[in-house]
Amino acid sequence: MTAGELGVVKCETCNLVMRAPGDDAECSRCGERVVVRKPLSRCVALVIAAVALYFPANVLPMMKTEQFPLHRSDTILSGIKFLWREGSWELAVLVFTASILVPLTKLLALGFLLITSWRRSAWRPRARTNLYRVIEAIGHWSMLDVFVVSLLTAVVQLGRFANVEPGAAVLPFASVVVLTMLASASFDPRTIWDGVREVQHE
Amino acid sequence: MSALAVCTYCDTVHRRKDLPGRSSARCVTCDAPLYHANTEPAAMLAVTLTALAALIVANAFPLISLTSAGSATHATLWRAIVASYDQQAPFVAAGLAITLIFAPVIELGLLLWVLVPLVLRTRPPGFRLAMRTMSALRPWRLVEVFLLGVIIAIVKLTGLATAVLGWGAFGLAVMAFAMASLGSFDQAVLWSRFDEVSR
Repeated sequence: MTAGELGVVKCETCNLVMRAPGDDAECSRCGERVVVRKPLSRCVALVIAAVALYFPANVLPMMKTEQFPLHRSDTILSGIKFLWREGSWELAVLVFTASILVPLTKLLALGFLLITSWRRSAWRPRARTNLYRVIEAIGHWSMLDVFVVSLLTAVVQLGRFANVEPGAAVLPFASVVVLTMLASASFDPRTIWDGVREVQHE
Repeated sequence: MSALAVCTYCDTVHRRKDLPGRSSARCVTCDAPLYHANTEPAAMLAVTLTALAALIVANAFPLISLTSAGSATHATLWRAIVASYDQQAPFVAAGLAITLIFAPVIELGLLLWVLVPLVLRTRPPGFRLAMRTMSALRPWRLVEVFLLGVIIAIVKLTGLATAVLGWGAFGLAVMAFAMASLGSFDQAVLWSRFDEVSR
């Protein structure tokens, strides 16, 4: 039995179960807006915006380092290569996962979830729900490189023996992370199951 | 209808049962977590106070200490934010200030605001607004990500200078653990206690 079939809806903020209201209703307990299903369109728009910014985020330099007479300008990927050779490979793997693998997986997974939900697919709903829960949980780890760059900028500047500057990619990269976080929050996982139930009812 | 639990992920309706200890119920259809066993608001208050104490340590002491050519510098969280601002990165500075200082201070402050009266079994003023604000802030907890960032920054600095973790990083670690633990509490406990004391 689903909440839809029972004519009830749950408030996502305070978990109160109430009789399904019309559009634009407020929860009687916490006052937050209650929606039966979030529309797919908002999530689609956020994913498109994130994809557009993904390119400058990866092509532009993330960090510029100057330590006389050396001067380097690193993109996300070249920064990871540098960490692999000079620092430790474990951390390089960690940064690669957080900065490249997670955003890419998230965008591809959201695209896949949106298409299957839109087509009201009945294909492996449990696996798709798990996929959604994974991207929901790991999304914020992509902020890692932005934090590293700003820490290095700050610390090195305070030390006055070299200079580190954030590059032009910092803002688009941070935006990609924020946009994908907003996108996964605006995706409604219940739409995964709507298609399945339609098939069952036929 | 408070006897019902609806799954956030697949809309399946379940009848609530009393759960033993610290266990949690899962959805029969999609296996997502449904609700946790009841906890005492007093336990949440203890964790909140720990997180607040850790937040003070994380802000007051240096995260990273650097020594190079005989001079030592200590980078606190606030100096890192000011330095990013000076380096023509005002958005980065604002982002750091919001996610690492303002959001946690507001969230923990509001939690304290509602928990103290609830533990004393009185009605907290502005409870509904406080709960809504907290639930809006929850996805933006980035303390644990920043902690990993501090560790990576230290490794990257080893070529340039001698860098060591400061007490602030220790505070940050405790804060990250305490806030993750707060996330594992079921907010429903606060609502049911609120309903109880409002009667």
